[in-house]
Amino acid sequence: MVDNKQLKPEITALLNPVVDQLTRHQITGDKTIALEISHLLMRVISATRWSNPYDLVNTIRQVGVVLQAALPREFICGNIVRRVLSIIRVEIEENLELDPNSESNTMMSSIFSLLSTNNNTVKQESLIQSKKQSSDLRSIIIQGIRDLIDEIINVNEGLENMSADLIHDNEILLTPTPNSSTVLQFLIKARSKRKFTVLVTENYPNEIEQTHKFIKKLADNKIETILIPDTTTFAMMSRVGKVIVGSNTVFANGGCMSNSGVSNVVECAREHKTPVFAVAGLYKLSPLYPFNRNDLIKVGNSGKVLNYSDYELLENVDIITNPLNDYIPPENIDIYITNIGGFAPSFIYRIVLDNYKPEDNNLE
Amino acid sequence: MSDKVNTAATEATKAPKESKAGESKSQEPTEGGALSNKELKELKKREKAAKRAAQKEAQGISPEQQQKLAEQKKEKNQERQMATNTNLRKKLDSSLIKDDNKKKIPAMFSHLETREQRNASSPSISHIVHPAILSLSLKISSYKIVGSIPRLTSMLEVFKTIIKDYKTPSNTSLQRHLTGHLSHQIEYLKSARPLSVSMGNAIRWLKQEISHIPLDLKELEAKTLLCEKIDDFIKEKIELSDRVIIENASKHITNGSTILTFGHSQVLEQLFKYCVTEQNKMFNLVIVDSRPLFEGKKLLRNLVDTHYMPGSEEVGSETTSEVSSISSRGPKPKPITQDFIKVHYVLINSLSSTILEDVDCVFLGAHAMLSNGRLYSRVGTGLIAMMCHNRNIPVLTCCESVKFSDKVQLDSVTNNELADSEDLLQNLNGKEAPKKKAVALEQFMKQFEHNEPQAPVKPTQKGKSQPKKITVGEEERDSKHESPLKDWKNIPNLNILNIMYDLTPPEYIKKVITELGALPPSSVPVILREYRST
Repeated sequence: MVDNKQLKPEITALLNPVVDQLTRHQITGDKTIALEISHLLMRVISATRWSNPYDLVNTIRQVGVVLQAALPREFICGNIVRRVLSIIRVEIEENLELDPNSESNTMMSSIFSLLSTNNNTVKQESLIQSKKQSSDLRSIIIQGIRDLIDEIINVNEGLENMSADLIHDNEILLTPTPNSSTVLQFLIKARSKRKFTVLVTENYPNEIEQTHKFIKKLADNKIETILIPDTTTFAMMSRVGKVIVGSNTVFANGGCMSNSGVSNVVECAREHKTPVFAVAGLYKLSPLYPFNRNDLIKVGNSGKVLNYSDYELLENVDIITNPLNDYIPPENIDIYITNIGGFAPSFIYRIVLDNYKPEDNNLE
Repeated sequence: MSDKVNTAATEATKAPKESKAGESKSQEPTEGGALSNKELKELKKREKAAKRAAQKEAQGISPEQQQKLAEQKKEKNQERQMATNTNLRKKLDSSLIKDDNKKKIPAMFSHLETREQRNASSPSISHIVHPAILSLSLKISSYKIVGSIPRLTSMLEVFKTIIKDYKTPSNTSLQRHLTGHLSHQIEYLKSARPLSVSMGNAIRWLKQEISHIPLDLKELEAKTLLCEKIDDFIKEKIELSDRVIIENASKHITNGSTILTFGHSQVLEQLFKYCVTEQNKMFNLVIVDSRPLFEGKKLLRNLVDTHYMPGSEEVGSETTSEVSSISSRGPKPKPITQDFIKVHYVLINSLSSTILEDVDCVFLGAHAMLSNGRLYSRVGTGLIAMMCHNRNIPVLTCCESVKFSDKVQLDSVTNNELADSEDLLQNLNGKEAPKKKAVALEQFMKQFEHNEPQAPVKPTQKGKSQPKKITVGEEERDSKHESPLKDWKNIPNLNILNIMYDLTPPEYIKKVITELGALPPSSVPVILREYRST
C-alpha cells in the first residue's frame, strides 16, 4: 500500500495496483515494466488538476519515489518517470520562453551553471496558468508520453538497422545474455543479411530455461547456434569475433547492469581483445552514477545454487550466494548500440543529458 | 629413491632367475622343433581326413560336400586359434556401438573424437577384456571416478588384478605378451573416457617395466614383482608426492586467510584437511562450482565428512568405533567445516568483484602441465585464473610430476575432450549429478522398438516416468521447461558443446607446487628433462 500523505487519493488509487504488481514481481521484463509505468503516468497526468504546472512536476516526482521504492534495484521505473518529467519541463520552459520577461536557462549542462543561482523557485510561484493553458499543456504532455511509448515499443527497429554494419559473414558471436529480447531480435534481423554462428552461454542457474528457449528460437531462424556452459567462455573466447551483451540499465558513466556472469565474459573478452558491444534501448539509459556498485547487485534464491535437499551440506556452509545481476564497468564495453545509434561508453553521459533534466536526478 | 628400490627388487629376484636360466635354454630347442612338429601334425591330419573321406563316401556323402564341411570347420578353427593382436583389435572394434546419424559436434570441434561406446555385454569381447576393466570403465564413464589422480590409482589397482589373473599363453613369454594383453584392456578403457596424461605416463612406465623383466623369471614371480612395482609407483608418485606438495602448499594458508578453489582436486582436498587436522588452522574457503559435474559439491561433501576435534589425535572420517568412544568421554568431533573452515559456496557466474575482493590466494587443481608452461585443467580454470590474476590475487596450482606432459598446446580448441552434450540438458535444478544411460540397455531398447514398434514401448516409457512423478513433483515441471530442446538433435542449426578442459596461460600462474619443489610454470620443461633422464 502506498501511504504518501502528499499524494491525492485519486492518484494513490491509480498507483496502488501497479505498485503491488511490481513488488510481487508480477510484471517482469524491462520493456513491459517501462510500458506499464508510462501508461500509469499517462493516467496520473490526466487525473491530476493543477493551476501551477510545477505542482504537476512535484506530483510526478512523488509518484516516482513510490515506484522506485516498489522495485529498489531496478532503474527502469525511475528512468521512465524522469523521461516524463523532462517532457513536462521542456514544455513548461517553452511556454516560459514565449514569455518575454523570463531569461532562458540553457547553460544548465555546463560547469558554469554550478555558479548560477537557480531561479526556478521564483518562477514556480509566479507561474499560474489558466484552465485553458493547463489543458493544452496536458494534451501536449500526453502526446509526449505517447511518443515515448512508441519509442519503447519500436525500440528494436532502430537497433536492427545497425546489425549489418557490425557483423561480417561467417563470424562467430558470443552472447552471455539469452534473456534479452533485444539481442534476439538483433540477431534474427542480422541473419537476413549475414550468415554467422552464435555461441550462447547457459547462465546457470537463474536463466537456464530462458536460455533453452532462446537458442531454440535462434536455431529456428536458421542461425547456427551452439550452447556452451558458463565455464567454457575462456576456452572459446579465442575463436569469438564479437561479444553481444544485453543490458538492464546503462549508467551515465558508461557502465551497465546485466545478468550475473556477464562480467566474467566481458573481462575474458577484454583479455582476448575481443570487441564487446552492448545493446540497449534508449529508455534503459539512467542519469544516475553507480557510486556503490555492490549495492546494485540483487541476490536471488540460494536454493538454486545448493539445493535445500542437501541439508547436510547446507548446514556446513557459511555463505551461499546467488547474485542475479552483475555490474559491468565501462572499460569492458567497446560500444553501446541504442535505437538512435552507436556510442562509446564515454559519450553516454551526453545522451543522458539530452533525455533527462539534471534537476530530476534525485526525485526525493 | 625409486631407482634404488627398483634395483634392489631386481637384484633380489636375480638369484632365482639364474637358477632358471638353464631351463629356459632347454625350452628353446623344443620351440624350434615345434615347427617340424606342426608339419608332422598336418601330415597326420591329411591322412586322417583321407580316411574319413573314404568312410563318409562309403556312407553316401559326396566329396564336394565333404570339402565344404571341412572348410567350414577350418574357418571355425582359425577363428578360435587366431588370437593375434589385429584379430583381437577387430573384435574389440566390432563391439563398438555406432550411432552415426546422431552425432552433432560444432564444426570448430569436428576434429575431436566423440566418446566411443562399446557394448560391454557383447560376447565377442568377454574373453578379451577383464571384468575388472569393464567395471572400471563403467565407473569412469559415469563420473563415479573422476579426476586425474583417482582415475590413475584405480586404473593401476585394476592392472594389478589383471596381472594377477594373467596367464601367459604357451608359445610366448610374459614380457612379450603381457604388454599386448594390457593394450587391449587399455583400448577398452579408452572407450569410457580418453586416458588422462597421468594415466598415459603410468602406462608408458608400466610397459617399460614389463619389458625390463628378466626373461628367465618364473611367471608367478614376475607377476608379483610387477604388482610390487605398481604399489611402489602409487606410493612414491602419488601418496608421498602429495604429502610433500601438501606440506609445501600449507605454508600459503594462514590463519584467517581466504582461499578460493575451483571444483575438486584430490591433493587440494587433502591439503585443506591437513591444514585443519595437523596444523589447527582456521580459514575461509570459497568453493567455486560449475555445471555439469558439480565437483565442488564433492569437495564440500568430503570436507563435511571429515570430523576433527582439536584435543584428540585421532582423525577419522568414518571410524565409528573411535567416534563412539570419544562421544562417551566428551563432545563429539564435529565436521571440520563447522569450526575450522568457513565455506562460501558459489557458482562460477557469481564470481564477480564482490567475491574476489577479499580472496588472499587461489589454489587450482591440475589435469596436466604442458611443456610450454600451460595448465590443462577442468574447464573454467582459465577463467578463474584470469580474473584472479587481474585482481592481483596469487594463483597457485598443485600438480604431481606424473601429470607433466611433453606435449605443447596453444589453445583449448585444438585438443580437448568432448563430453556428452546430454549432460547439459539434464538436471536443470542442480539436484543430482549427471547420470549416464546404460549403453547396452539403450541398444537393447532400440532393438526392441524395431521389432515391435508400438505395443511394448509405451509401457516401458511409462514405467520410467512414473517413479519420478511419485518422488518429485518438480521433475514434471522440469521436463516441461526442458521441452524446447527435447529433440535438439533433430534441429539442424543447433549444437551443444560440452568440453571438459581448458588451457590456462602461464602468465596467470604464480607458482606450480610439485613434489620436486615449487617452480614457475616456465620451468615445466626443465622438470620434464630431469624426470626423463632418471
